[in-house]
Amino acid sequence: MGFRMRYLDLKRKICSVRMLAIQGIAEAGSGHPGASFSAAELMGVLYFRKMNHSPKKPDWSERDYFINSKGHSAPGFFATLAIAGYFPPTEMKTLRKLGSRLQGHPVRYTQKETHQSVPGTEFSGGSEGIGLSVSIGIALANRLDGKKNRVYTLIGDGESNEGQIWEAAMAAAKFKLHNLVAILDRNRIQQDGFTEDIMPLDPTRDKWSAFNWNVIEIGGHNVEQIIDALNKASEAKDSPTIIIANTVKGNGIKHMTNNPQWHGKAPPREHTPLLLEELRSECLIAPSIIAGQQENYEEKIRSAERGGADIIHLDIMDGRFVPNTTFYSDTIKQLRHITTLPFDAHLMIENPLAHIQDYIDARCDIVSVHAETCSESEFAQITDRLLSNGISPGIALNPSTDLPNWLFPHLQDVDVVLIMSVNPGFAGQKFIPEVLSKIRVINQKLREHGFLGYIEADGGIDATMLQAVYEAGARIFVAGNAVYGSGDIHGAIIQLRYKVNVALERKLLEQANAIGIRRDWLKTRKHILIPLANELGIEEELHALK
Amino acid sequence: MLLSNEQKNADMRGAYGDTLVELGASNRNIVCVGADTTDSLKIKKFGDYYPDRFFNVGIAEANLVSVAAGLAIAGKIAFASTYAAFLPGRCLDQIRNTICYPDLNVKLVVSHAGLTVGPDGASHQQLEDFSTMRAIPNMRVIVPADAVAAKYLIRSIAIIPGPFYVRLARPLSEVLYEDNAIFRIGKGNILRDGSDATIMACGLMVTRALDAAKVLKSNNGITCRVVDMFSIKPIDTQLVAECARDTGAIVTAEEHNMIGGLGSAVAESSSETYPVPIRRLGVRDTFGESARDEEIDALLEKYGLATNEIARAVIECRGKSRR
Repeated sequence: MGFRMRYLDLKRKICSVRMLAIQGIAEAGSGHPGASFSAAELMGVLYFRKMNHSPKKPDWSERDYFINSKGHSAPGFFATLAIAGYFPPTEMKTLRKLGSRLQGHPVRYTQKETHQSVPGTEFSGGSEGIGLSVSIGIALANRLDGKKNRVYTLIGDGESNEGQIWEAAMAAAKFKLHNLVAILDRNRIQQDGFTEDIMPLDPTRDKWSAFNWNVIEIGGHNVEQIIDALNKASEAKDSPTIIIANTVKGNGIKHMTNNPQWHGKAPPREHTPLLLEELRSECLIAPSIIAGQQENYEEKIRSAERGGADIIHLDIMDGRFVPNTTFYSDTIKQLRHITTLPFDAHLMIENPLAHIQDYIDARCDIVSVHAETCSESEFAQITDRLLSNGISPGIALNPSTDLPNWLFPHLQDVDVVLIMSVNPGFAGQKFIPEVLSKIRVINQKLREHGFLGYIEADGGIDATMLQAVYEAGARIFVAGNAVYGSGDIHGAIIQLRYKVNVALERKLLEQANAIGIRRDWLKTRKHILIPLANELGIEEELHALK
Repeated sequence: MLLSNEQKNADMRGAYGDTLVELGASNRNIVCVGADTTDSLKIKKFGDYYPDRFFNVGIAEANLVSVAAGLAIAGKIAFASTYAAFLPGRCLDQIRNTICYPDLNVKLVVSHAGLTVGPDGASHQQLEDFSTMRAIPNMRVIVPADAVAAKYLIRSIAIIPGPFYVRLARPLSEVLYEDNAIFRIGKGNILRDGSDATIMACGLMVTRALDAAKVLKSNNGITCRVVDMFSIKPIDTQLVAECARDTGAIVTAEEHNMIGGLGSAVAESSSETYPVPIRRLGVRDTFGESARDEEIDALLEKYGLATNEIARAVIECRGKSRR
């Protein structure tokens, strides 16, 4: 990756965007959750990492421009601006209400007092198919002025029905606008139904290629793929780039995903706490390539990527802090180019401060060091170095180690607390059940101290205890044998996710019970719950709904 | 202000193109976007002088005005031009949402409007543009009567921030103004004074209004005030009220549907300030038709816009006056 993203911080900010957007929509009683959620990562990566922009000085002349052509994603767009610092997040309460600056569709910001718009909005959206043309004008002007800034334009696939999109497609190629990047939110749903039923867009890639654009296709919810694609787009010469981002409409709230019904509908306000809980509960599966050492690491990483892993966990052992030896930063460096998946390096080594630069240079995305191996001041130096290089810092604890008291003043700088559920050093050990209560206690303590990061559980984890680990508060699950031991890596990862889903649904049902909306929630969530009914023990209850 | 002696004709489009070249020399922020009609609009010359500031988007009017909007967002003064049938005819939505709503610095300068387009026929005879453009907040609507007016008004709109719609004529037109004439956006120009009625006209109808005034004077002894209402929006409310008070009757003349154009703007204004009888001359809610250049007078006559129609309307209108 060409620039550093502080992966977990980025994920957390995007999660905040979704939470803010759904609160705004629920409060307003209308709005477009589907489009807001399909594009959350696309906008998040741009605003939180990629673009040069200044919330304090929105009209900074060297800024990169973001043109939100699919204006109905307004709640997600506004929430992104708010989290980026353009206006107070609390203002999202006013979305779509009389007198609000947050109109149903974004309005270009002007200084006029009567104008209902927020700083950072470059373009008035709402009428489809126009933003790409406007972006051409901006890109032409910037080039004329000899500026190096870029124009990023989010377009929709429904919006691509508009002929003007293709007028713009021709013009941008004619003018050789390599400073223009279009991002297609390919969620395959528009207001009346599925895009391929209403007006087929495929073969999308071939169409844009035929219009002489540089085409990159990615998974639109994988921030690392988005970053990689944007970096590649920056290298384009003589032609504009389109990133076809394959996304899921409504991604983040299961009953809203891939359902045209949720294109432009608000959830009932009383569902809000449950929706926020679901959004907060995003989990990451992290296959660990230490298992069955000495094998072909490259193949393991590739198979994990194909199998749907979120991040790759790398166990670094030095033979001193732990009895075993694995590999070091030079191996990671060699592996870095084969995947865009984030590398989660777990340093089980003595004196990590002395080696930290190696892991920065090896372009790891998360680096956790053991509490047992450093003092407070060493840890502070490590986190400083990691943060200034855009790497998520983590602290790891052996099963018998408690949270060090010196950690609390540094919590806002920590993205991960990694709790070992075996004694580190060897693969294939059994999960220590007592660690469950440790995770629970630590989670509670961390949240009381305002910790916003992730708890990562590492060691002997498989499908049998995953629900319990989730319920205790862990959100990153390191899996070695559970993934690689089976021979069916994809199947194993699906099974792990299934277990997490069951745990989540159980938790949501409990919450629905507590606020007296169980029946309503079961109805809303029915198509998600039916396949899990047996495991959740709600078969009869679901049946009775009919 | 009025050119007195000799009659000469000039091309408004040529005046536009030349003025744009002149403005472009001193202001590097002036850019121009065309849509495969750049030769006809006489903006090709701008492209010859400043190729890096000239963009031809082909036959794509929605793209034309939206690209201009983008240029304006990034700080340029963007002129976008093509035939009036297609701009605004084909891109009303883009003009409304993308240009006017955010009040962008885009100048839409069109030609080939009105019946005098001639041989191309009704598809090209834009007769509804004043009405649509006038109804959009932030938009201003300007209709020069000759090449001198075109030159000065193009200079003005380049300086005043925000969106403008300027309608030029296709044919050569009689030069009415001396080169030292003054034009202010939002103000009408009194070209001939009189006390019995006022004729307010715009574009090519101004010449005919002056002709009608002469005919009325010599044949009927009626003296007419003739006003060039080149600024349809903002309309010169004060002048409308003054003319109503001073002359007691107003006739309007425009190459536009009677619904929603200059006549409507004057009537709306007068009815709220100083109501007097008003006769509106325009195309009577119908489409035009082809006519060769030498048949233009006959075409205008057929559609009720000939000089003698104006004169007749003045007499009728005076008849209803309470004075």
